[in-house]
Amino acid sequence: MRRINSLYGRIRILKRVFEKPTKQSHAFLASRSFSTEGGYGGESQQNSSSSRVKIFDRELKRVHRDRAAWLSRNKNDTFVDAVAENLLDRLEDCKKSFPSALCLGGSLGPVKRLLRGRGGIEKLIMMDTSHDMIKSCRDAQDDNSIDTSYLVGDEEFLPIKQSSVDLIISSLGLHWTNDLPGSMIQCKLALKPDGLFLAAILGGETLKELRIACTLAHMEREGGISPRLSPLAQVRDAGNLLTRAGFSLPGVDVDEYVVKYKSALDLIEHLRAMGETNALLHRNKILNRETALATAAIYDSMFATEDGTIPATFQVIYMTGWKEHSSHPQAKRRGSATVSFTDIHKQFGGQS
Amino acid sequence: MVRLSRVMLKEAGNAIDKTLSEILVCPLSKQPLRVCEKTKSLVSDTIGVSFPIKDGIPCLVPKDGKILEEDGDASKAS
Repeated sequence: MRRINSLYGRIRILKRVFEKPTKQSHAFLASRSFSTEGGYGGESQQNSSSSRVKIFDRELKRVHRDRAAWLSRNKNDTFVDAVAENLLDRLEDCKKSFPSALCLGGSLGPVKRLLRGRGGIEKLIMMDTSHDMIKSCRDAQDDNSIDTSYLVGDEEFLPIKQSSVDLIISSLGLHWTNDLPGSMIQCKLALKPDGLFLAAILGGETLKELRIACTLAHMEREGGISPRLSPLAQVRDAGNLLTRAGFSLPGVDVDEYVVKYKSALDLIEHLRAMGETNALLHRNKILNRETALATAAIYDSMFATEDGTIPATFQVIYMTGWKEHSSHPQAKRRGSATVSFTDIHKQFGGQS
Repeated sequence: MVRLSRVMLKEAGNAIDKTLSEILVCPLSKQPLRVCEKTKSLVSDTIGVSFPIKDGIPCLVPKDGKILEEDGDASKAS
């Protein structure tokens, strides 16, 4: 605890140092556009579509996913599996069956493996930005009877014909798109009427421990901070996103997973295997060994549990939306009610 | 026009499978694609770009596309 106190003390001193510009490479990047707050909500939501802000380096993400394909082969990741399972579980709640389905990037393997005939899918199309990922997914022969096709494509430029699939699943992939509303609108267009859109994305609370540790270590060692973790959508934005993309009957729910690691380095290894490492366009390309080790030390001293493991929070936002169809319940015209709410209240006993 | 290109895609069934040929469109223009047997690629005539098919997997990321020359041959023009 003393160690943390001394750290905070040092930060206070460092804050004064910020006033003077130090080295160029460590410029204090206090850009609001990178904060989670303004990510996809509020004002920036309107701006993002017009000016097409580039936040993520999609090319780099592709390389990350190539690497992830090699790191994650023949291994089942419990966290990714849990998310995929939770997402696919929603298919059992639908009475409808979905003959053709499109599975977008993120965790393709687990989705394919855990599908187990749910949702009555006959044709499955797997799409990812990484060729290696798609190939490793194709090579992992699971004994399922679903007719599966593979395709390399970008979620931001969906190469799918209008009204051609019944279901779109995206498990932990869409949070890396620069234009999330745009991608979701394209998904909606690709869906047939009454088609279902199911997505899981990482939310703003994800890796909050690492965010704190990173910031502190950077301040301590380098006298300034640069974004190391990407901005993520907040829960309240998810509903807006669905409505904005024009999905009807939108549903959003949140799950928090706490994964325990032996050390901060194991956490980074896991992130690499998932392909979830930093891909910000304006990232600092150099990470000092010292700073990295300091981050690990701060993480350990601030968040370690009694048994010596360190927890990492993953907030997953699940989004469900349907493409509009005449069978969906519609709100009646305003003022068309014939019964007063006061009467209903009286009728049912008036117990508040 | 759409139906015509779909027939053309179906004929070249050995290059990519049927499910894909029915639903794939150009990622940029959202117009139908044509399979080019000679170069093993998917060609979007509307914008004059060809997308490669690697190992039977069509690559439709805009950056993988090659801009075609006027005479219709795939070239490395950027």
